[in-house]
Amino acid sequence: MAIDIDREAGQPRMREVPAVRMEAVYKYYGEFTALNEIDLKVARGERIVVCGPSGSGKSTLIRCINHIEKHDQGLIYVNGTELDHQRKNIDAIRRDTGMVFQSFNLFPHMTTLDNCILAPMTVNGMTKAEAKDLAMHFLTKVRIPDQAEKFPGQLSGGQQQRVAIARALCLRPKIMLFDEPTSALDPEMVKEVLETMKKLAEEGMTMLCVTHEMGFAREVADRIVFMNEGKIVEQAAPEDFFNHPRSERARAFLDQIIH
Amino acid sequence: MSHFSPAACVDYFFNYFLMKGVLVTIGLTAAGVVGGLILGMGIALMRMSPNSVVSGVARFYIWFFRGTPLLIQLVVIYSGLPQLGIKFDVITCALVGLILNEAAYLAEIVRSGFMAVSPGQREAAWALSLPRSVTFRRITLPQAFRLMIPPLGNSINSLLKATSLASVISVEEIMRRSDMLMQEHFQILEVYAAATAYYLILTSVWDAVQRRLEKHFSRSTTTKSPRAVAKARTPQTGLEARA
Repeated sequence: MAIDIDREAGQPRMREVPAVRMEAVYKYYGEFTALNEIDLKVARGERIVVCGPSGSGKSTLIRCINHIEKHDQGLIYVNGTELDHQRKNIDAIRRDTGMVFQSFNLFPHMTTLDNCILAPMTVNGMTKAEAKDLAMHFLTKVRIPDQAEKFPGQLSGGQQQRVAIARALCLRPKIMLFDEPTSALDPEMVKEVLETMKKLAEEGMTMLCVTHEMGFAREVADRIVFMNEGKIVEQAAPEDFFNHPRSERARAFLDQIIH
Repeated sequence: MSHFSPAACVDYFFNYFLMKGVLVTIGLTAAGVVGGLILGMGIALMRMSPNSVVSGVARFYIWFFRGTPLLIQLVVIYSGLPQLGIKFDVITCALVGLILNEAAYLAEIVRSGFMAVSPGQREAAWALSLPRSVTFRRITLPQAFRLMIPPLGNSINSLLKATSLASVISVEEIMRRSDMLMQEHFQILEVYAAATAYYLILTSVWDAVQRRLEKHFSRSTTTKSPRAVAKARTPQTGLEARA
């Protein structure tokens, strides 16, 4: 079964609504400007990799999209719904977006399966049996159905992150947000997580991904968004970005990370 | 010349009058824990409130009851308040004092438990658009509770022994009844040896209970042992994999 991103297939006009639209978004931490006039449009099905030096606002950017962080100024629309700090809209947007964190953030006191079925049952009102079927479907998809009854502490990092991806998919999101999903992993576990993400991308999921995995960016991304000091400095297709970075800052960044 | 009589110790240990005092001690402790936890949870939630008046009230409460001796609190409640026309029976006085005092300690334990739950847990719950009540009941509370068990156990151990202070306001628990027995025959060492044995038994039983609770609630998180990880990496079939 393909991931259900075509729910609006019968309503062609909906397709013109971008998955994410940010207009002049600002975010401050006290005196510090974390996001500085961010304008970004993400089309449905588009795969974006956000990169840049640490502290450049990459994580803050994607965490503002599902209101884990509150933006201070500007407009954010997700699937046409305005993120205006109203509970109702925030909940609607969070149901439409799945998020994967650097530190997995699985619920340690629940089994893998319980981690996956909690939101479908409480948010979507599924019965336990329905939610279990759904969870097993996605756990199979991330290739760990046999770990369903394990607790997160019993799994390797790579397995935990794949469970986290399955858990997010169980709400059938239209957009997936990845916040450095492989940064906390042992090197030999990075691949299994990236493979899972690639599979998701191939199925047409809209993805925004903060990552330092430039191989993944080259292979999967439709567009690279390069940030520095809270600003989007450069946006380009991966080929252009890696071969002909326009900004001095991006050139310096690429020199540092590509060995 | 030695007067110590081991046989008298044993007699006092099995003294029915003293045994009833043990039951009172257990009852005071249990009521103190339950009442203290309920009140302490409320105080902790107030203390964590973003409203500075609400958190200020909680802060004052904790400052006051942790900053004064339980003995004075008990005496004031029992002998002082009647001066203002507020009068309770002895047991109620002891319970009020113990609960008010215990709540101040437990509130800080509860609060530290909640603060120790990683912020990532709340973020994950938000990202899944879980309602606040579900986030509290299913995510934050169980994890905070697990972190609270060791200090909670410590506090209950202290409370168990602190109930002896209620003897001062004539609650007939272990200490008071030991005093009464002592005054009959002045076998001071023998009586208090029996009382000491009872306190040791009670604290030891509680230790065992606490260890079991800790084990029960940590079964899912203390699996970082190499064996568990190795097991996790071995492909498993079916659902028998729960360790």
